[in-house]
Amino acid sequence: MEHHQANWGRPRNDVYGEYDFAIHNAGSHDEPTTRTLQPTVTGSSVIGIKFDKGVILAADTLASYGSLRRFVDEQRLFQVGDQTVVGISGDVSDMQNIQDTLDQLEIEANYDADGYPGPTAPSIHMYLRRLLYYQRSRMDPLWNSILVAGFKNDEPYLAYVDLLGVTYQSGCLATGFGNYLAIPLLRKLVDNDGDEKNVTYEQARKAIEEAMKVLFYRDGRATDTYHVAVITKEAGVQIEKTKCENMSWKFASQIKGFGTQKE
Amino acid sequence: MPIEHSFNPYGDSSGGSTLAIAGKDFAILAGDTRHSTGYSIDSRNESQIHSVGDGLLVSPNGFSADARAFVDDVHNDIIWYHHKHNKKLAISSCARSIMHTLYRRRFFPYYVSPILVGIEPDGTGAVYSFDPVGSYEREASRAAGHASELLVPFLDNQVRKANQVDPETGKPLAQHDLDLETALQLVKDAFAGAAERRIQVGDWLEIAVVTKDGHKVERYPLRRD
Amino acid sequence: MAGLSFDHYKRNQHLAAKGVATQKFTSTGTTIVGCKFDKGVIIAADTRATAGMIVADKNCAKLHRLAPTIWCAGAGTAADNDKVTELESSNLELHSLWTGRAPRVVTALTHLKQHLYKYQGHIGAHLILAGTDPTGAHLFSIHAHGSTDVGPYMSLGSGSLAALAVLESKWHDSLTKEEALALCAEAIEAGIFNDLGSGSNVDVCVMEIGEPARLQRGFRMPNPKSVKSRNYKFVRGTTPFFDPEPQDAMVVDEVAA
Repeated sequence: MEHHQANWGRPRNDVYGEYDFAIHNAGSHDEPTTRTLQPTVTGSSVIGIKFDKGVILAADTLASYGSLRRFVDEQRLFQVGDQTVVGISGDVSDMQNIQDTLDQLEIEANYDADGYPGPTAPSIHMYLRRLLYYQRSRMDPLWNSILVAGFKNDEPYLAYVDLLGVTYQSGCLATGFGNYLAIPLLRKLVDNDGDEKNVTYEQARKAIEEAMKVLFYRDGRATDTYHVAVITKEAGVQIEKTKCENMSWKFASQIKGFGTQKE
Repeated sequence: MPIEHSFNPYGDSSGGSTLAIAGKDFAILAGDTRHSTGYSIDSRNESQIHSVGDGLLVSPNGFSADARAFVDDVHNDIIWYHHKHNKKLAISSCARSIMHTLYRRRFFPYYVSPILVGIEPDGTGAVYSFDPVGSYEREASRAAGHASELLVPFLDNQVRKANQVDPETGKPLAQHDLDLETALQLVKDAFAGAAERRIQVGDWLEIAVVTKDGHKVERYPLRRD
Repeated sequence: MAGLSFDHYKRNQHLAAKGVATQKFTSTGTTIVGCKFDKGVIIAADTRATAGMIVADKNCAKLHRLAPTIWCAGAGTAADNDKVTELESSNLELHSLWTGRAPRVVTALTHLKQHLYKYQGHIGAHLILAGTDPTGAHLFSIHAHGSTDVGPYMSLGSGSLAALAVLESKWHDSLTKEEALALCAEAIEAGIFNDLGSGSNVDVCVMEIGEPARLQRGFRMPNPKSVKSRNYKFVRGTTPFFDPEPQDAMVVDEVAA
């Protein structure tokens, strides 16, 4: 046995020869199972915040192929049921697969026509958690980070789930770069649970617009066009497309060189 | 040759820390509510204390996707026990059941170090702690999670009274049964200290006190930086 | 050879590959920012130093004096920041004695970037350099590999994105001193509360043209130490010991008064 802490439990290479990983799949294949596991076409951040009467979600329209701005008009916010929006970042093919799954879920629910309401935000979130955790446990993950926004017992609901099956809830959430750049701005409004009760739609909307602007400034995989979904009890789901406004790039003309240069 | 990429099914998303103390007729399970990944705070309000039925509380402590799945398993096991046997699940039996739940995943473990808290049929408070693959024991106190190496020595000193003598008699200090008030103070001070020095611990402290009549949860603020 | 010794570099790489834990350095997992205003420049920093996931120092100083009106905020390895700023402080003083002129910020910038470039990133100092000199107020950032940047506002460290979010949304090109001070403090607080590597207090240093630089430790202190509910003093004699007369092992010298 190799007793070095980094290789504990493996036969020693110097005694038994190079360890053959193929033995894990003895009988089925000559080589170990390999999967190409990496996202290809990807969407960047999704951000969300609760306010007194509902939830706002935003995601830009860019789908990148590595550092290429491949598809510039992709929608990454989807309505599911009457009062829920799912925002997806990460691999776009996996996103579309999840979208199909959720559409099917809604269709199945409508077949019943039994008077029960369709899928709710918590139930959709639970479904996605089980789905993504199942796929990660099969070592074949759906390479996404997802926000689910809607209502739970008439209270605003916002929850996160990602490719590992990790979930959490908060008054404001973000995926990807939004975690670093948008959250500090959104937490100024809703830092604690319940703070959203003192936040109006106008305040929340302004914070989202500001955060999307900062993301466009500093996230190299973001663009200035984005969808905003507003979910309220009265009006249900409203999704619109908009652009970053009141940006300022004029400081750039003041900068010369990288230190001692004057002209 | 295809390019081989390995996918790591485990991540570092988790809650902060939890701590449990068993008393003569009560048991405490406390935990902070910060949920973090790397250097980011995911949520300031994600409870680590889960009520799984029959007056039993569980904190999973570890990778949070596994933690959720694990707690669901324990919860379901108790529901199925009720269906099959139509009686309450004793805490010692729940502990044995958790051991099986964990060992079942021996070669793809749940990355958790759970603590189970409740009242024994004889009325005493009980704390059971587990390793990720099911080794377990009943203890007077236990801490797990990110600040466990800060909390455990404190509990050894204050609950177990390890390596201390009565200066009058020279006899080792007995591990006396803590009264609830002292135990609650110890828990608050332990977490205040952990939040000072461990970056993943903070935001809110939740303390659940279990007695034969059920459990009650109280919340206290911790550092938020 | 002068400078750092790389004698153990290969050995350490080998040990790390074998899975032997490498040394944990105290790092200023940090938020630092700098911002210009109409008549000068401000730098600010949090005060948490970490060793891995443990807080090593709750009130460390990350603002370093290079010259009376040239100051520097450091992120990265604490020892490298302390040493590289100490060295530059000496060199600026010598340079200014030699030339008989007040030290300039670009002199410090050039010294530091050439020193760091020479060490190819092995000196883990990430700096925000600011100050006033006869040519005006200046603000630069320097990365460990030796690259430099100019800008009206900037942030560095593990909390740099949180701070940047605030700077990007609130900065404008006609800030007064008071506005710039509030903006820097708010940016650092964004790091303190959103980045686990940053915490405790806000330190600031204001460098106004024609004025002496003013360092304010604890400019904002949003995280007071928590108060304990119990007293943890032990009665004398609580700790058991096996040798009843340990003082016999000591050599006692009586010193005449």
